[in-house]
Amino acid sequence: MKNTFVKRLTSGLLVTGLLAASLTGCGGASDKAAGDDTTAQAAGSNAGYRTLDEIKESGTINIGVFSDKSPFGYVDENGEYAGYDVYFAERIGEDLGVDINYVSTEAANRIEYLQTGKVDIILANFTVTEERAQEVDFALPYMNVALGVVSPDDAVVESLDDLGADDEVIVISGTTAETYLTKNYPDIKLQKYDAYAEAKTAFENGNGVAWANDNTEVIAFAIENEGYTVGIPSLGDQDTIAPAVTKGNETLLTWLNDEIKTLGGEQFFHADYEETLLDTYGADYEDELVVEQ
Amino acid sequence: MDNLGIDVLFKGTNFIRLLQGLWVSVEISIVSVVISIILGLVVGALMTLEKMWLKVILKIYLEIVRIMPQMVLLFIVYFGTTRVFGWDVSAESAAIFVFSFWGIAEMGDLVRGSIKSIPKIQFESAFALGMDKKQTYFYIILPQTIRRLIPLSINLITRMIKTTSLVMMIGIVEVLKVAQQIIEANRKTSPNAAFGVFAVVFLLYFIVCWPISRLAVYLEKRWA
Amino acid sequence: MDIDILKEYIPLYKEALILTLKIGWQGIFLSLILGLIGAAILHFKVPVLKTITGIYIEIFRNTPLLVQLFFIYFALPKVGIQITAETCGVLGLGLLGGAYMIETFRSGLESIPTIQTESALSLGMTNGQTFYHVILPQAVSVSVPGLLANVIFLLKETSVFSTISLMDLMFTAKDLIGMYAKTIECLFLLVVFYLIMLLPVSLLGAIIERRARYGQFGD
Repeated sequence: MKNTFVKRLTSGLLVTGLLAASLTGCGGASDKAAGDDTTAQAAGSNAGYRTLDEIKESGTINIGVFSDKSPFGYVDENGEYAGYDVYFAERIGEDLGVDINYVSTEAANRIEYLQTGKVDIILANFTVTEERAQEVDFALPYMNVALGVVSPDDAVVESLDDLGADDEVIVISGTTAETYLTKNYPDIKLQKYDAYAEAKTAFENGNGVAWANDNTEVIAFAIENEGYTVGIPSLGDQDTIAPAVTKGNETLLTWLNDEIKTLGGEQFFHADYEETLLDTYGADYEDELVVEQ
Repeated sequence: MDNLGIDVLFKGTNFIRLLQGLWVSVEISIVSVVISIILGLVVGALMTLEKMWLKVILKIYLEIVRIMPQMVLLFIVYFGTTRVFGWDVSAESAAIFVFSFWGIAEMGDLVRGSIKSIPKIQFESAFALGMDKKQTYFYIILPQTIRRLIPLSINLITRMIKTTSLVMMIGIVEVLKVAQQIIEANRKTSPNAAFGVFAVVFLLYFIVCWPISRLAVYLEKRWA
Repeated sequence: MDIDILKEYIPLYKEALILTLKIGWQGIFLSLILGLIGAAILHFKVPVLKTITGIYIEIFRNTPLLVQLFFIYFALPKVGIQITAETCGVLGLGLLGGAYMIETFRSGLESIPTIQTESALSLGMTNGQTFYHVILPQAVSVSVPGLLANVIFLLKETSVFSTISLMDLMFTAKDLIGMYAKTIECLFLLVVFYLIMLLPVSLLGAIIERRARYGQFGD
């Protein structure tokens, strides 16, 4: 601990020294200028990404996963990352021959993490959509998904048109459910949360009449928790979930696609399902959820 | 009601992870406070100088810190700088940067206040004794200022520890995020874990901050 | 930066500003009331209540608002206490602010020389009258700069409301970034709106503080 402490202190001092220099040098205004025209150009070109070779060379890959979305990405009681996405991530690390540094993300941060190069791959149950594909590059899919809505047994919501004017639907900020409802049902009141853990606890506490999210997730919730029914099992388009990399990161994207194809040959994602999701969903959903190339 | 969910903390390494999460917060605060004190002394001394342009710059700096929530600064530094300048700042550096940015301003202002509060006669006496400006600052003014500042900067530590609860929002796994992870991993077996775990987090923050703020009060009374 | 996007987002930020101010001012109002009551209790050294006030101050000054909100909003329903997000925001802000306001008012009260109390009492005023008509007005005016600093502090603290699903300025920015990834525009508007909200309060504080200082020189 002591070592890292000293290291952080010195690096912190350096950074802050820079700050002080910039402050006295070019004035406090530099901070405000951050919003001006220079940024417009910078916004277009992303901060950069690490190519496949650079990742291999460094010996570590940064993978963004959820840490509070059981059973896809969560942290178990021993502090280890686990879940369907993580099982895949482990394999990626193994096949690349590098260590994995897991970065805990929230739904709303996923694009941001890729565009600022803070992670190499997002493996956080990331649904492929047209809007997102303009911001990041998706690899081949490894799971099917649609939207679903879960509600308490005593007041099951079977159609979104049934909702009263004051009924609030819980969504998680930055998910496809949020975008879909905002676009298609602008009159429904949304109650938004940052994190999965928060949204689920609020839903359990009865803060909203229903919770809209990926149907995989709401089905899992209804199975694991007594007293809930998935009134709307499929809403909107049938989508897929895929790994994503920073836009333009061709080498990593190609490698990922090849990897997913190879894994398809050995029915890897079925094994993944059986390892991580079987407990929750049983065998019924296996062919419905899993995608192999 | 039969189970308030405190038991989940004794499963696996849950409680230890919670403490490790707390340490992350404390570590960020301590590093930031040390930086704030060192550079705050410099900035505070600069604030007492009679230079117009310097005053304006420092005024703007202070005002930014006073008005912008730390959370906004965290987002700007963590995401904004990468967008604009292409810097790759780790979440922890971003947090330390923002906390120091804030702390230096606060310390600077406190330093300025305590330098100003030292009677003019002390400067005059020192000059009369043949000391030059540097010597006066170093041997006469600084020691007194630091003594007045220690309780105030201890206070700053508790405020920083409290504010570190925000770093969860830029992906640092600190005590609150660990709490969420524990609640999530145990939702099935103990649905009331939210109560027990958040109560413990509440208590942990209090246990860390309270003695420190008592110490500040004690020193303030003693050295005032 | 894309002007069209800014134009599109501004109404959303306006809405968020209104919500932030609404909850913010309600919370501040609550904190002022708590502050006055608490300061009076400490000033008159009311037994029992004095201890309770002391414990309240220590608890709320030594824990982060975020954790307080988590506890009130997510944990309390588990033992049957259910409140809405808005009430939780007002309550959290009010309780946190109260702990700071008490200290501010109290130091205001302490700054009034005891001779004033003695004179008022010797003029035949009761204890209550003295406090109400002589001490309190002066104490409040002495406290104004401190109070404004607290107001700024509390309005800034609203930035953690995203955790309890309140669409304040910060959450609006985060949410838009999450949906459309227009980071620069969102952060720019965020800064602008915080300036709109807090710069006037901060400037007012600076003016009043200068006035108060002139007042002291006149003594």
